[in-house]
Amino acid sequence: MAKTATALPLEGIRVADFSWIINGPQIAQWLATMGAEVIKIESQVYLDIGRINPAGMADRVAGPNRNGYYHALNYGKKAITLNLATDKGRELADEIIRKSDLVLECFPTPAANKLGITYDRVRAVKPDIVMISVSLLGKTGLEPASWVGWGPMACSFVGMFDAQGYPGGPPRQTGGTWPDYAIASAVTFHVLAALRHRNRTGEGQWIDASMGETVIGQMPELYMDYFINGHDGGRRGNRDDAMAPHNTYPCAGDDKWIAIAVGTDSEWDALCRAMGNPAWCRDPKFADRYGRLSHRDELDAHLARWTRGHEHIALAHELQQAGVAAGPVLDSVEIHEDPHLWEWGFFRKIDHHEVGERILPNMPVRMSNVPELNYSMPPDLGQHNREIFGGLLGLSDAEIKILMEQKIIY
Amino acid sequence: MAIRALDDLVVVEFAQMVSGPMCGKMFADMGAEVVKIEPPCAGDEMRAHPPFPGDVPHPEKSGSFLYLNTSKKSLTLDPSTPTGAEVFRKLIAGADVLIENHQPEYLDSIGLGYEALKTINPKLIVTSISPFGQTGPYRNWKGTDLIEFAMSLTGYNTPTMVDDPERENPIRAPGHQAEMMGATAAAAATMFAIFHREATGVGQWIDAPCWQAIASTSKIEMAALTYARLPFSRMRGNVATGLEPLRCKDGYIYTLWAADTHYKALKALLHNPVEMESEVFDLLVGRQANDDVLRPMIRAELLKYDTEHLVSEGQRLGLTIGPVFTVAQAANHPHLRARNAFIEIDHPIAGRFQYPRSLVQMTATPPMPTRAPLLGEHNAEILSRLGYSLDEQQRMRAAGAI
Repeated sequence: MAKTATALPLEGIRVADFSWIINGPQIAQWLATMGAEVIKIESQVYLDIGRINPAGMADRVAGPNRNGYYHALNYGKKAITLNLATDKGRELADEIIRKSDLVLECFPTPAANKLGITYDRVRAVKPDIVMISVSLLGKTGLEPASWVGWGPMACSFVGMFDAQGYPGGPPRQTGGTWPDYAIASAVTFHVLAALRHRNRTGEGQWIDASMGETVIGQMPELYMDYFINGHDGGRRGNRDDAMAPHNTYPCAGDDKWIAIAVGTDSEWDALCRAMGNPAWCRDPKFADRYGRLSHRDELDAHLARWTRGHEHIALAHELQQAGVAAGPVLDSVEIHEDPHLWEWGFFRKIDHHEVGERILPNMPVRMSNVPELNYSMPPDLGQHNREIFGGLLGLSDAEIKILMEQKIIY
Repeated sequence: MAIRALDDLVVVEFAQMVSGPMCGKMFADMGAEVVKIEPPCAGDEMRAHPPFPGDVPHPEKSGSFLYLNTSKKSLTLDPSTPTGAEVFRKLIAGADVLIENHQPEYLDSIGLGYEALKTINPKLIVTSISPFGQTGPYRNWKGTDLIEFAMSLTGYNTPTMVDDPERENPIRAPGHQAEMMGATAAAAATMFAIFHREATGVGQWIDAPCWQAIASTSKIEMAALTYARLPFSRMRGNVATGLEPLRCKDGYIYTLWAADTHYKALKALLHNPVEMESEVFDLLVGRQANDDVLRPMIRAELLKYDTEHLVSEGQRLGLTIGPVFTVAQAANHPHLRARNAFIEIDHPIAGRFQYPRSLVQMTATPPMPTRAPLLGEHNAEILSRLGYSLDEQQRMRAAGAI
C-alpha cells in the first residue's frame, strides 16, 4: 500500500534497541521521531542511568519515569523490561531481533560479549540484520577496543582536548558530552544508507561506530595539518586563521559574554561605527585584515573594555543590526527563553502524567513535508511489555505473568 | 571493490566552506554523484584556507578543502547569471538532492528557491543548511562557527571546570564543530527525506540550522533546568568528578570519578595514599564539599605515575580513564592504525598524504573517499551531458558563467 505524503519516512521499520545512556538513545531517537518502531529493551537489574541520575529528577523526587535526562533522549519510543542475564531473557531478545530490521547497542565490549549482543550472534539469529555498535574507540582493533569510557574520553584520545585551551595553558575539556550527539547524527545517516542497501540487495551489515573516529573526521584542519606538514596541535583559545577580532568578550553582569567575529573590512567598519568610532579604531595597524590578525591581542583588550559596559543579549542584537556577526553566550535559563528557538520550533512543551508540564528540545531539523515528527511521550519503565510480549511475540497473559514472577520480564 | 550504497543518487552541492561541503562529502563517499558548484575563478572559499603544504597557499592544496570535498565533481558556475541559472535548472531537473548553505532567501532572490525548483523537479529534496534556520527572528543574522558554538549551552560550558570565570572566557571547540553538527544532522534528515520520497514520490525542503544542531548537544544540561530546577552554571556544573585533563608524569590523563566505586578505584590506582583515606571522601557529597582539599591531593599523587600505567591499570580497576593525546599521538596510535582509521589519497597537484577515513565504519558498504576535484575539473563532462555543445561551452566560459 502506498504511503500518504504525510506518513513518517521510517514507518514499517522496527528497531531492537539495547542501548542506553546517551549516544545509542540519541540514534534511536532520530529513528523513532522519523517513524521507526523503536523497542527500547531495559531492565530493572541495570536501570538506564538516564532514569536514575539525580541531576535530572523532576522536582528532585526520585522515580524512574520522572527524569528529564531520560525524557530528553527517549521520546517517541516504546519501552520494555527484559532481564538479559537469564537464558530465557536472551531467548526472548532473539525473538524480538528476528522481527526487527535494526539492532542497536552501545555496551562496552566485555558486556556486549557477555550478553550475546555481538554482530556474529545477532547475524546468526537474523542474517539480513543491520546492526549498530557504538563505542568509545570501536569494537575491533587493539586494547582500547575494550576500554570503558564515555563521550569526552573519545575527544581526549584523539587530540581535541590537547588542541583546546588558552594559548600557553593546559589542555581543557569541551563542554557536555558532545561526541555522543556527534556520532548519533553521523550514524543515523550511515544506518539509513545501510537500510536502503538492504532493501535493494537483501544484504545486512555491521556498523562499528567509534566516537573517537567520528571526532577525528570532524576536525580535519588538525589532522590534515599533521598529515601534510607534521604540525601537532597548539592551543589557540578562540583565535582563527582568517578573522580578527574573533573571540568572546565580557559583558555587564556575572559570567556574561558575547561572541564577535569580524571577517571583512566592511564588517570591521560596521563594528567601529557601532562602538562610536573611538580614536583607537582609526589606528592604521587595524586598517586591514592582516593588520588586525597581527594585533589581535591588542584588539581583544580594546573590545573587552567596550563590551564590559553592555548587556550581552541586547548588544548582540545591536551588532547584528549593524552588520557584525555577534551572538550572546547563553546560559540554560537564557537559552530556554530565547525567542528565536521558540519561534523556529526547537522546544516543545510536554504534559507528562507523572511530572506535569515540562520543556524538551525537539530534533534540530525541520522538514516541509513531514511537519509533525513522532514526539510521543517518553515511555514509562516497562510501559509496552504487554504490547510487545503479548502482541509482537504472541505470549499469553498467563505466560507474561509467569515471566514477570520469574523476573525475566523485569 | 566494495559496494557503494548510494551510487544511484545524484546530488548537487551549491555550498562553500564547512557545513554544506561536509554534508555533500558524506553522500559522495557513499557513492552518490555529487556535483559541486563552485564560483568561477576563485572556487570554494575553503580553497584559500590552511593547512597548505609548507604553509604556502595554493587553491588546489588546502588540506581542509581536500578533506571536505573528497569523491566529488567540480563544476564552476555562477547561478546568479541568466546562463548560470539555466545550467543550474537543467542540473536540478536530473538531481535527487540539492545541498546549499547560503543565507536564507538568497536562492529565492536569484529565482532558484525551493518553490521555483519544485516546479522543475517535484521529487527534489532541498537541504538548506544555515547558521540559525530559515524562519525565526535571527534567520538573517550573520553566523560563523564561533558565534553558533558560543550561543549553545555547550559553548557556554567550554572549557568545563572553570577556576576563574572572570578570566576564563568561553572558547569554541577546535575545528568547526557547530558547522559539523549542522552538516551531519542535515545529512541524516536528507536520508530520511529520501526514504520518504521513495515511499511517497514527493520531495521536500529541509531546514537544518547549525546553531540548533550544536545547541541540541546539551539536552541533558537543559533538562536539569526544566526538571530539577537546577540552572546550569559554569562554576558548579561539574564538581568533584574529575572532568578535566589532569597532569601526570609524562602528559595528561582524563578520568571520571563521580561514583563512589570510582573513587575507591582511583585510590587503589594511586596505591591508597593516606591523605585520600579520610572517610569524609567516601561519598560524593563529601568529596564535593571538600573539593578544595581533595583536588590538589589527587593532582599531586598523579604526578608520580606515567600515562600508560595510569590508563591500563585504571581501566583494569574499572575506572573510565584515558590518555589526553596530541593529534600526532592519536594519528600514530596502533589501535587506530589497526582499524585503518586513516586512508592515503593521491592528488595530482597537492600530492599524496593521509586523510581521516570516515565518520563510522561499515562492513558491507563502507564510505570510500577518493580525491577532491580540481576547480572546474568536470565542467566539460557535466555540460556535455546536459546537452551543451563545445561551442556553447566556449561562449559560457568567455562570458564568465562558468
